[in-house]
Amino acid sequence: MKFKKNLAEILEDLKINEDFKKNIVTWHTIPDKQAQTVQLPDGLHPSLIDALRSKGINQLYTHQKSAYEKVSSGSSIVAVTPTASGKTLCYNLPVLQSILANPKTRALYMFPTKALAQDQKSEINEIIQAAGVNINSYTYDGDTPANIRQRVRKAGHVVITNPDMLHSAILPHHTKWVSLFENLQFVVIDELHTYRGVFGSHVANVIRRLKRICRYYGSNPVFICTSATIANPLELAETLTEAKMELIDNNGAPQGRKHFVFYNPPIVNKPLNIRRSATLEVRKIAGELLKNKIQTIVFARSRVRVEIILTYLQELVKHQLGPKSIMGYRGGYLPTERRAIEKGLRSGEIYGVVSTNALELGVDIGQLQVCIMTGYPGTISSAWQQAGRAGRRHGEALVIMVASSSPLDQYIIQNPDYFFTRSPETARINPDNLIILIDHMKCAAYELPFKMGEEFGGVGTEELLEYLTEERVLYRNGDKWFWMNDSFPAHNISLRSASQENVIIVDQSDVANVKVIGEMDRFSAMTLLHDEAIYLHQGRQFQVEKLDWDEKKAFVREVDVDYFTDANLAVQLKVLEEDKHETFSNNEIGFGDVSVRAMATIFKKIKFETHENIGSGPIHLPEEELHTNAAWISLHQTLTEMGQDRLEQGLVGAAHALNHIAPLFVMADPQDIHVIPQVKADHNEKPTIFFYDRYPGGIGLSEKIYKDMMNVFKETRSMIIRCQCEAGCPSCIGSDAINETTKKDTLKIIDTFLQTSEKDKGVPSCH
Amino acid sequence: MSLKNKLNRLKPHLSVGNQQEGRSTTAKGAAAIEVPFREQWEAENVYPYFIEQDYCLLREVEYPLSQRHGHYRFQDFLTAVDTWNKQDVNHPLSASGFSSEELFFFDTETTGLGGGAGNTIFLLGYASISGDKLILRQHILPHPGAEVPLYQSFLEKVNYKTLVTYNGKSFDWPQVKTRHTLVREHVPKLPAFGHFDLFHAARRLWKHKLDRLKLSVVEKEVLGIERVDDIPGFLAPMIYFDFIESKQPDGMLGILKHNEIDILSLVSLYTHLTFQLCGVDSLQTRMETYEVGRWFASIGERQEAVKTLTKLTNNDDLTAYRAKLVLAFQAKKDRDWAKARDLFLEAAESADESLSMGACVELAKIYEHRLKNLQKAAQFCDKAIFLSKQIKGITKISSETSDEQLQKRLLRLKQKLSKFPR
Repeated sequence: MKFKKNLAEILEDLKINEDFKKNIVTWHTIPDKQAQTVQLPDGLHPSLIDALRSKGINQLYTHQKSAYEKVSSGSSIVAVTPTASGKTLCYNLPVLQSILANPKTRALYMFPTKALAQDQKSEINEIIQAAGVNINSYTYDGDTPANIRQRVRKAGHVVITNPDMLHSAILPHHTKWVSLFENLQFVVIDELHTYRGVFGSHVANVIRRLKRICRYYGSNPVFICTSATIANPLELAETLTEAKMELIDNNGAPQGRKHFVFYNPPIVNKPLNIRRSATLEVRKIAGELLKNKIQTIVFARSRVRVEIILTYLQELVKHQLGPKSIMGYRGGYLPTERRAIEKGLRSGEIYGVVSTNALELGVDIGQLQVCIMTGYPGTISSAWQQAGRAGRRHGEALVIMVASSSPLDQYIIQNPDYFFTRSPETARINPDNLIILIDHMKCAAYELPFKMGEEFGGVGTEELLEYLTEERVLYRNGDKWFWMNDSFPAHNISLRSASQENVIIVDQSDVANVKVIGEMDRFSAMTLLHDEAIYLHQGRQFQVEKLDWDEKKAFVREVDVDYFTDANLAVQLKVLEEDKHETFSNNEIGFGDVSVRAMATIFKKIKFETHENIGSGPIHLPEEELHTNAAWISLHQTLTEMGQDRLEQGLVGAAHALNHIAPLFVMADPQDIHVIPQVKADHNEKPTIFFYDRYPGGIGLSEKIYKDMMNVFKETRSMIIRCQCEAGCPSCIGSDAINETTKKDTLKIIDTFLQTSEKDKGVPSCH
Repeated sequence: MSLKNKLNRLKPHLSVGNQQEGRSTTAKGAAAIEVPFREQWEAENVYPYFIEQDYCLLREVEYPLSQRHGHYRFQDFLTAVDTWNKQDVNHPLSASGFSSEELFFFDTETTGLGGGAGNTIFLLGYASISGDKLILRQHILPHPGAEVPLYQSFLEKVNYKTLVTYNGKSFDWPQVKTRHTLVREHVPKLPAFGHFDLFHAARRLWKHKLDRLKLSVVEKEVLGIERVDDIPGFLAPMIYFDFIESKQPDGMLGILKHNEIDILSLVSLYTHLTFQLCGVDSLQTRMETYEVGRWFASIGERQEAVKTLTKLTNNDDLTAYRAKLVLAFQAKKDRDWAKARDLFLEAAESADESLSMGACVELAKIYEHRLKNLQKAAQFCDKAIFLSKQIKGITKISSETSDEQLQKRLLRLKQKLSKFPR
């Protein structure tokens, strides 16, 4: 048996090992960073000083001190804190200090999940215990027993909860929380970056309601937000809370040297540009590290991948290390189980953790030496968060990102500069989305009557109140609007569902054990869950036996076939109102309200490998209509020399590629934003490409695209050029490309879009 | 012309029933406030109560104590309070120490179900004894936003020690607190009250014979009250929403009637419950007596429990055996092993397998640990096992009487027997 190697030796090995070296695209080294510390703040309560000392903290990092000072002087802050930089002290210190100074002080902590709330409760309680002071902190969520709820409401100095609970249990019952709302001085919003898109837009409205209740009881809390690195933390925090914020980003936590390696598995099928499976490569690399007892965390994008990798690794090292030395980690673990894993990692009993992105959120499991990502996690921001799991405060760390064949992965791995130099994504929310806003106005009216002249949100509050009055939900008496309905509005509004009515996917493979395996929004279901569709779920194939459109249920059965299905969706997009518009010499861009009408027409069965069309069938589903926001770009010239067919193919190819790149600019999942081309758009009869938000009313994604249109096109262009295929493949312009010239045509079209604007506008800056 | 004069002039209209003088209160500028359909309201004994620039509506009705409501007259309630005061029995519903005027029968109507800040109370109704009358008052919210006059008028009138409600502990009173919080700066504080919630009592006494324990059901089945043209409670929110749009009193008058009967029924129900608990109802069924006894047993009123249950033992029906079983447990609690044994032995004779089995298990325990008769203990353990098999799948079995536990007990007994044979 060979000797065990340490990380430094492994790093040397990797650099010379031919097998590994040839697949390395980039080896990027981030230098180490010294800690920047300052004295504990003056006037800090002696008990708190003792508590910090007992935990070995004699000084604060610069950002912790800044946070303490700003908050103590009454400013709201957003602190941008990388993994393991001690962010909890940013809020716990000023909050505990204030409570010690005045025991009536109350604080509300909001975490996106219950697990995180539990975790943070233990954390704050450790300080409280060490300080030996009389401060009560409680979690208040669905699991809180009824008999202690009363106590939490009356006597909890720090109430730790989640937005859903605030929305449906605390705010509608505010009269039971008088002592909290009268004395609320701090609202802590942790993991700010998770409040984006539809969820973030809902939460922004919950915060509007919270502030409204606070005003009623005469309090005006300071907001303390912490966020992972995103492009616009200040903007997001200010939009979410509608409060003036100060940004704190002088991170003073130390950081060891970090090696960031981009690894691209070798191509195994040249014509189709298919690479060896990332999962298999990860198994190989992680296995090697674990055999050398190097503590490693592996991230995978789905639970199934986690299971596969975990099983393999456990098998591999069973005899050398014992099966308990590698643990899986998924969402839904109990705090005690997590503590066991943490403890195991610290004591060295556990060498490896395989995790979904559940671990991305601030749960502290200690630091490991190596992080391996199975595929690009989807956003720059989460890639950095995952990378942050590796790297102790001192000593070297290694991060390996293994790319899959998907276009986004390939784009990222082949554009290391893009990844390392570009600031991460922008998180977008649209709290004034009418559908979301009006839902929360109902809740707000239930909580307290609206007064004439009161503002709620950015658009005509009075008009909305009148609308609700006509709908007989509110009743107007004099200068007030009262809730006049027998329902409890918060119960019908879920903060997390993207669309009101999703299709439930029911697996009936095992007749005795029928179960729901997922859900999908109606719009996507038309093309992915129609009768006879092959639906892929975590790597398994299912055939849809029946789609019950009225009941919104798709019944599926597991199958093993050598084809997939591809449905045609006839999309009609009509511009209803143009809010923004710019015309250039050769093209024009616009943004506004659109109506998207989609109807699934037919589906094709397409064989794997050869992509032969081996059958087709009709789809009988009603037309769906979506009112949303869109951004678009139209060409003045018609590119007639190309011919109608080639123009159309080229536009389709461009749209496919753009659809992969667009999510890079807005922190969104690819299905949140759609791209469709029109050879002759209805509103201006010009070749046009539309980007629209998939959520009714829009959540700000296409608006961001409108502002950044040229960069989206530029990045898309370079992705297509770098793709190694000859005439288009699923990794760039899609498989619909049937023409040999399509790739060229697509590029030409994109160039036409680009040339004209660059001349007019110059190259717009990234941010 | 002052309002008072106006009301005096209207007096002939007001003397429907047995009204006294006009009750409308005046406030500065009140005359400027127009009350829609005022005459129609006043014809139904409903008068506005003004405060500042707003008003609520107030209805007051008096009943002579000789009036009958179901099986009881209101004067029977005085007897009930008297009964408690003469007895030395501790019970959650005991009015001992109170005069009959200090009890306050209370019920609300709201715009929705469940608690929550937006669920508005639009009707506060209550009744209490005053001299030789029962006076019932209802405070009506004429439009949302008039909660200051509503609670102001309500809090001026209430001066009682104990609330009597039906499910008011978990619904009506917390909701009053919630809505009061919203106007707390403008109205007096809510006083502290004792609280008799008759819903819990009804559930204890009549769960065995009524599927649903809504007040309207209890009323009909137990108190002999028939409602005519009653508006079902669940329609109340709709009618109220309609009322605030149209201001038309008709629908609301129906709700007032409904609420009035609810409150009057509370008086009869409290009377009836008292007679049940104090054992002065000659028509009490054996099952009711049994439930009363069990209730006393569960709150530790040993003497009352034994007294009540012993009345039942001289019979051969299931209730008699059940009573014996409760009495046996009572004796066990008192550590009177011989008495407990005798009672368990009697209960074990019941034809009801599960009841008998419970008694056998207890006998096995007592013989093993207290009376040190292992043989007998094993014998009853055996019988319990046999019975447990008989009822398997029919009746729910507690863990202590599970087959596994019984077998374990039997095995232990056999081992002990072999060690210490007699």
